Amino acid sequence: MFNFHYRLERYSIRFAILVVIVASIGGFVEIAPLFTIDETVEPAPDMRVYTPLELAGRNIYIREGCYACHSQMIRSLRDEVERYGPYSLAAESQYDHPMLWGSKRTGPDLARVGGKYSDYWHVVHMNNPRDVVPESVMPSYRWLGRNELEPADFDLHLRAQQKVGVPYTDEMVANAINDLSGQANPDGKRAEGVLARYGEATNIRDFDGDPTKVTELDALIAYLQILGRLTEVAHQNPVMKKLEGPK
Amino acid sequence: MNFEHEMLVGFAKSYGLFYLLALSLLVLVYTYWPSNKKPFDRAARSIIDDEDRPWE
Amino acid sequence: MVGQLTVNERKLAFLILILIAVVGLAMAITGADKLFVVHGLIIFLSALGTIFLVISGYFLPPPDIENAKHYYDDPTRAGIIIAMVWAVFAMFIGDWVAWLLAFPEMTFDAAWASFGRLRPVHTTGIIFGFGGNALIATSFHVVQRTSRARMPDNLSPWVVIFGYNLFCLLAVSGYFIGITQSKEYAEPEWYADIWLVIIWVTYFILYLRVLARRKEPHIYVANWYYMAFILVVAILHIVNNLAIPISLMHAKSYSAFSGVQDAMTQWWYGHNAVAFFLTAGFLGMLYYFLPKQAGRPIYSYRMSIVGFWGITFFYMWAGSHHLHYTALPTWVQTLGMTFSAMLLIPSWIAAGNALMTLNGAWHKVRDDATLRFMMVAAVFYGLSTFEGSFMAIRPVNALSHYTDWTIGHVHAGALGWVALITFGAIYALVPWLWKQKRMYSPKLVEVHFWLALSGTLIYVFSMWNSGIIQGLMWRTYNESGTLAYSFVQSMVEMHPYYIARAIGGLFFLIGAIVGCYNIWMTVRSARMLAGAPEFETPDLGIASAQEIKAGEQA
Ligand code: HEC
Ligand code: HEM
Ligand code: HEM
Repeated sequence: MFNFHYRLERYSIRFAILVVIVASIGGFVEIAPLFTIDETVEPAPDMRVYTPLELAGRNIYIREGCYACHSQMIRSLRDEVERYGPYSLAAESQYDHPMLWGSKRTGPDLARVGGKYSDYWHVVHMNNPRDVVPESVMPSYRWLGRNELEPADFDLHLRAQQKVGVPYTDEMVANAINDLSGQANPDGKRAEGVLARYGEATNIRDFDGDPTKVTELDALIAYLQILGRLTEVAHQNPVMKKLEGPK
Repeated sequence: MNFEHEMLVGFAKSYGLFYLLALSLLVLVYTYWPSNKKPFDRAARSIIDDEDRPWE
Repeated sequence: MVGQLTVNERKLAFLILILIAVVGLAMAITGADKLFVVHGLIIFLSALGTIFLVISGYFLPPPDIENAKHYYDDPTRAGIIIAMVWAVFAMFIGDWVAWLLAFPEMTFDAAWASFGRLRPVHTTGIIFGFGGNALIATSFHVVQRTSRARMPDNLSPWVVIFGYNLFCLLAVSGYFIGITQSKEYAEPEWYADIWLVIIWVTYFILYLRVLARRKEPHIYVANWYYMAFILVVAILHIVNNLAIPISLMHAKSYSAFSGVQDAMTQWWYGHNAVAFFLTAGFLGMLYYFLPKQAGRPIYSYRMSIVGFWGITFFYMWAGSHHLHYTALPTWVQTLGMTFSAMLLIPSWIAAGNALMTLNGAWHKVRDDATLRFMMVAAVFYGLSTFEGSFMAIRPVNALSHYTDWTIGHVHAGALGWVALITFGAIYALVPWLWKQKRMYSPKLVEVHFWLALSGTLIYVFSMWNSGIIQGLMWRTYNESGTLAYSFVQSMVEMHPYYIARAIGGLFFLIGAIVGCYNIWMTVRSARMLAGAPEFETPDLGIASAQEIKAGEQA
């Protein structure tokens, strides 16, 4: 009796193992090359990492689910390139943990929205999109301008980013909290540190027009304004792939 | 280093296909093996039977 | 339900719950951010509430030894009811989300009620809350019946149901307050993910233990599908959720993957979640409940096996069709496209097998709305897989991607296939489990059927229309060679379709509420007849085995 049971038990486990093997070989064969894919990612020597304020803004973008309506991936199709700019390259999202390519365009693509509008436009738009685009179906995000940013543990964020492979220096990690507020205070002492660590081209300003505090809106706009601007590679090689689509 | 990537891609494209074909063949042989017909028919009927309680 | 546990199991349940409560309390006390504290409290309170439940039944007399001679169905009963609660909740949110796209001010200036937070509440609530609970509940039923064996113990199934719903609760409450990883269908943060792994392993071991006790030498094919569902979902979940938390006292983590690699991993996950959660699991349901309800064996058992292996090994390769024309290498895209086309074969084998089974029983389909739910589900399964394979072709995807066409495809599968097959299975199961000859009101089943079908059709047709219009407007050029429409123009064009979709969704939601009422009344009449609360009903209820014999009822 025991023997009989034993055999049956082995049988169902064997079956389970078979399912795992069959299913995972397919996945593995397809995915394995992608773990060496960084070898095929175009070099982008001018690429910089997100500043702490921009990273905080990115986290707000994630928290509010902006990705549910906005893609950040311009496909290599003619109409997309004409509408949104040069198509997205793999290099441009190499520091994005996780990527925010999106799968639905209820709103327009944002991969290259950085610099397209003024900060002020964004402030008005985020507070009530219908003030600038009367037909818009985008939600109003009034609470972002009310909420102060909580920077207390931002060094931990940069440390974790470092662990997953983003090239933040130890100095950047150590100064994360100061840099966070420094970037939104152009007149403050901390601003210089941000420029020194993240490059002269970094946007240093009071993004949300309220100099008294650093809000979530400051962070979000800092992030929006850098989208598509971390590297210039996409602009330097305008046509590498043949574009497809209607004429 | 590019060599490694190319190699993996090559492997995926060629052996992946063989793997798939072989597997498909195996499954078809198993399901259509004549002596397997009886147990399969029995299994298909088995759920229709009365099933008030577990078998002792 | 505590009365059914042996004294030792009661002790063990108590211990496990204390452990969970302690972990929750520790999270709440040490938590370094507010959100983490909230989740600690939710865990603590869920465990505490369940502890009271256990205590309240702790001193009941130990269960009858006779119990071991019956299938253990209380967890299935509970699972079905929980699934229906999730269904109504998540469809309500889904419809709210739908109205939001027509009238954006319906957020009322509250962060938790904004589109970006409600949408994942809808998707998680419906896929995991409704779909997951329905799969778990029916799998418990099916594996016991087809193995002719009882659950090995009374506690494990409850652990699975409690633990799984705690996971769903953490997930959904997290989006409301702003905890998310942003990975579609894998939004919950690291601690919830770890918790799900523990529960899922318990589930898998339980499943294997029932199979190991089986008195039937052959494992019925429905179990294969359920097993593939359990196993592959475990692999997908673990790989895609690899992440580094910023600390053990924070909710936030950063994904181990980035950029293209992350995109590929995410859609390998996303597509296979469709395959093994929304397809394999529900095919398991189909292969058991449809033949039972029709009273005829499956048309071809062999086809069901071929279909099984086809689905198991073709799906894994197809994920990249979510990333056509992106920065992903082209060869991976082509691979995904090819396999998506091949997927049509096992998919249609399954759909065809289901429909052929009904050949010769069409009069039953006409008279029995329960069976009709299953029949229409099989049709929509065939339809949405055909559509999927079509959309996977690169030039087609160039048009459909990013548009409402995808949403139409999703809901042809989700409403037409997943939800309908589940409702069919539940309407079959409820009378069997509560020992009734039939549902409280077959009329209301009929009403639900027509509401669900019309809701689905309205939804899907409006999204096909809006999606294709949207896609065409984005790529239309005028004579001077510039783009003819601005984005906002295409958005305005969507408005009437969004309203139509929301109305279709409302139909579907009302149908589900009617279903809840009907189920509730069935349970109540069972209770009144038995004169005892349903969970304590001994397995030999009022109806004789003859009456419960499935499928034979007209
Ligand atoms: C319900 C879907 C939806 C959500 C969620 C959403 N948006 Fe939008 N967004 C739109 C639509 C539609 C437009 C186009 C109309 C307009 O400009 O308001 C738009 C436009 C924009 C634009 C202008 C783009 C351009 O090129 O003109 C920006 C920037 C933007 N959104 C940012 C965000 C951010 C940041 C979030 C998250 C906090 C967000 N959106 C959430 C739908 C959405
Ligand atoms: C009452 C019925 C339902 C309504 C009104 C509804 C509504 C919606 C809406 C409005 C969206 C967002 C679409 C967008 O972003 O443009 C959505 C997304 C989604 N829904 Fe539903 N839904 C319903 C039922 C279901 C069911 C039963 C399921 C699954 C079993 C489901 C699964 C999904 C999924 C997976 C998505 C995400 C699609 C994507 O990202 O492409 N829905 N739903
Ligand atoms: C042969 C079977 C199928 C194939 C080849 C297939 C293919 C596809 C394709 C090409 C997309 C669009 C990807 C994009 O452009 O972004 C898609 C999206 C989707 N499909 Fe399918 N599909 C199949 C069956 C199903 C079924 C049965 C369901 C069940 C509900 C389903 C659910 C979904 C979901 C939820 C999405 C949206 C993912 C997202 O963007 O969030 N699919 N599918």
